[in-house]
Amino acid sequence: MTALPTLAVKNGKKPTAITGHGRLAAAYLAPGMLGFLIFIVLPLIASLVISLFDWPLFGAPEFVGLDNYVRMLSGDPVFWTVLGNTLFFAVCYTVLNLVLALGLSTWLHNLGSWGPFFRVLFFIPVVTPMVANALVWRLMLTDDGVVNSFLANFGIAGPSWLSDSQLAMGSLIAMSVWQGVGYNIIVLGAGLNSISPNLLEAARIDGAGPWQRFFQVVLPMLSPSLFFCTVMTIIGSFKVFTQPYLLTLGGPGESTNTIVLYLYRNGFSFDKLGYASALAWALFVIVMLITALQFSQQKRLVNYDN
Amino acid sequence: MSNNRFTGRLLTAAAVAALAAGTLSACGSSSAGSSSDGGKEASSMYTWITNDSDRAQWQAFVDAAKEKDPEFNLALEGPSFNDYWTKVKTRLSSSGAPCIITTQAARTQELKDLTVPLDELAKSNNIDVSMYNKAMIDGLTVDGTLRGIPYDAEPVVLYYNKDLLAAAGVKEPTLSYTTEQFSADLKALTKEGVTGLAVPPGFASGPGLALAFANGNEPVKDAKLDLTNAGLVKDQQFAFDLVAKEKVANAPQASDGTDVPEQQFMSGKAAMIIDGPWMYETLTTKTQGKVGIAVVPSDSGESTGMIQGSAFAIAASCKDKEAAFKNIMKITTPEVVGAVGAARGTVPSVDSAVKDWAANKPASDVAVVEALLKSGRPLVTTPSWNQVETTFSQYSGEGFRGSKSAQEILSTISNSAK
Repeated sequence: MTALPTLAVKNGKKPTAITGHGRLAAAYLAPGMLGFLIFIVLPLIASLVISLFDWPLFGAPEFVGLDNYVRMLSGDPVFWTVLGNTLFFAVCYTVLNLVLALGLSTWLHNLGSWGPFFRVLFFIPVVTPMVANALVWRLMLTDDGVVNSFLANFGIAGPSWLSDSQLAMGSLIAMSVWQGVGYNIIVLGAGLNSISPNLLEAARIDGAGPWQRFFQVVLPMLSPSLFFCTVMTIIGSFKVFTQPYLLTLGGPGESTNTIVLYLYRNGFSFDKLGYASALAWALFVIVMLITALQFSQQKRLVNYDN
Repeated sequence: MSNNRFTGRLLTAAAVAALAAGTLSACGSSSAGSSSDGGKEASSMYTWITNDSDRAQWQAFVDAAKEKDPEFNLALEGPSFNDYWTKVKTRLSSSGAPCIITTQAARTQELKDLTVPLDELAKSNNIDVSMYNKAMIDGLTVDGTLRGIPYDAEPVVLYYNKDLLAAAGVKEPTLSYTTEQFSADLKALTKEGVTGLAVPPGFASGPGLALAFANGNEPVKDAKLDLTNAGLVKDQQFAFDLVAKEKVANAPQASDGTDVPEQQFMSGKAAMIIDGPWMYETLTTKTQGKVGIAVVPSDSGESTGMIQGSAFAIAASCKDKEAAFKNIMKITTPEVVGAVGAARGTVPSVDSAVKDWAANKPASDVAVVEALLKSGRPLVTTPSWNQVETTFSQYSGEGFRGSKSAQEILSTISNSAK
């Protein structure tokens, strides 16, 4: 394996092939990198610049320095409310999603020939447009919707699932988990399939019971998949937008207003692109920090031994 | 040979990259290219086109103008009504933007930077703007300058289902209607799966603001928000209480559009609804039962109309404002707005053309609209009105369910939308 580099050093020649491949690689990478530059890097820089201005959708922007950030952190109580709502949503959604996905994928793994059928069934909401999903849930959860009509059959007066500030966020989380759990089921299912049956057989022979096998063999072997699911689910949960936008408009009051919904409104409804960009950067920093924290614990929590 | 192979690969890679870039740019430029021809833009209009009905309405203006000038035409483009108020700002920032845009009296303040004053153009073209509805002209005036030529003037009215009123033994309201009688009637109408009133969650579209206007209470004073004035708070609380305490209407969801209560009314599940005359054709022809209209109730019974309406304006970016103005004047003559009113149901902005709109309508309905046009005041707003509307819809669920008062909600909105 090391023969080629050694030979190159011994001959004292310039590794021309490596240079040539580098150019070729650069040429192949160019379209992707160009896209990355145009669609990711430039908008990031632009939003940072815009966040330093009072920038209307139409008209001349005015430089305000860090005013948007100062206002966000000290002069806008709604920011802290929407940040709290987003954190609450992210924690509840991620925990529920992962626990449910782990349980269901384990069940489907042992279900036999019906497993793939149910896997597809759980995945359907993932590939259905979020807007369609939200509209169906809206029909179910409105005051005189399907759920309350069903409860009425038993003489129960159902609550306002979307208009009671105590219940609205729970309704959004329930809808989001239903919509998103199928993706993690597929990823964790693939992880379960990659665990060697010999390993579980050896544990069984050594006298390990079902729970011991799950917690001491399956879970550690599944940790790379679980890590991937956790990172992706948390990032996705911080970007929650469609559900409150379509189901509750962020209400009642501010009880379901999330940071992306709030920044969208500031940018495109309230004509405050500068403030919206500052909010976007706050979200970017928070997600980056949380993701960095997760990766810093990767070696301690994730087992990559086969 | 190795060099040749490398060159070949590089060329292939470059060709693929070029193809990808070409595809991307082709995708990005699917719309028609811009034109530097000011004349073309002067006969283009950016407006809301939510559906075929909207497109037919704009076409009705063009068709009516063609009666006098067969060569006249307008190129139309635009998004849905809900997207319009955001997209008009970005569209007018780009090159080749249309010269003519549509606006509403209630949005004139918000769009003031997009439009140009029309006073000088009107003067040089010998246009007497006093022929248009005064409330609309007042509503379209920003800092003393006129920003649009109105084509309709629509006072909000109370629609009622005659059959449901007759079944409940409630007398039909007319040109004088007190809130006390209104409240009593709604209670009498609420029974057997029917509610007295259908309400949307919005502010301008909801019952609270129309009731406040009827009593002479307005949300803006001296070009500043005045949401917490005692009269407006009292009338909004009255609207909340009709739902939360009197239970004469279903509490709306924040995400409901105006279509939800309109559907309740049309299906005969609600006996009354407060809405604009722009819904007249739909509500009178598609409701289960006969429909009549009355003034919005007030404490005294004498109602001040809340006039909303739309207008044509000239974009600040327009190169040929003179040509654009001439085109606007072709579609806002008394004959054209009258013809469109007759064909599409919009109440004309010119008094002399109201007869065209009234031709095929019951005299009692026409009398209501004419009375409200006479007494009406424009719904004047501020540049932050979109924030007021959005936040009100977000909070109104708590008001209609009794967990927050009108004072609390309007104070919160007033503080956030400064």
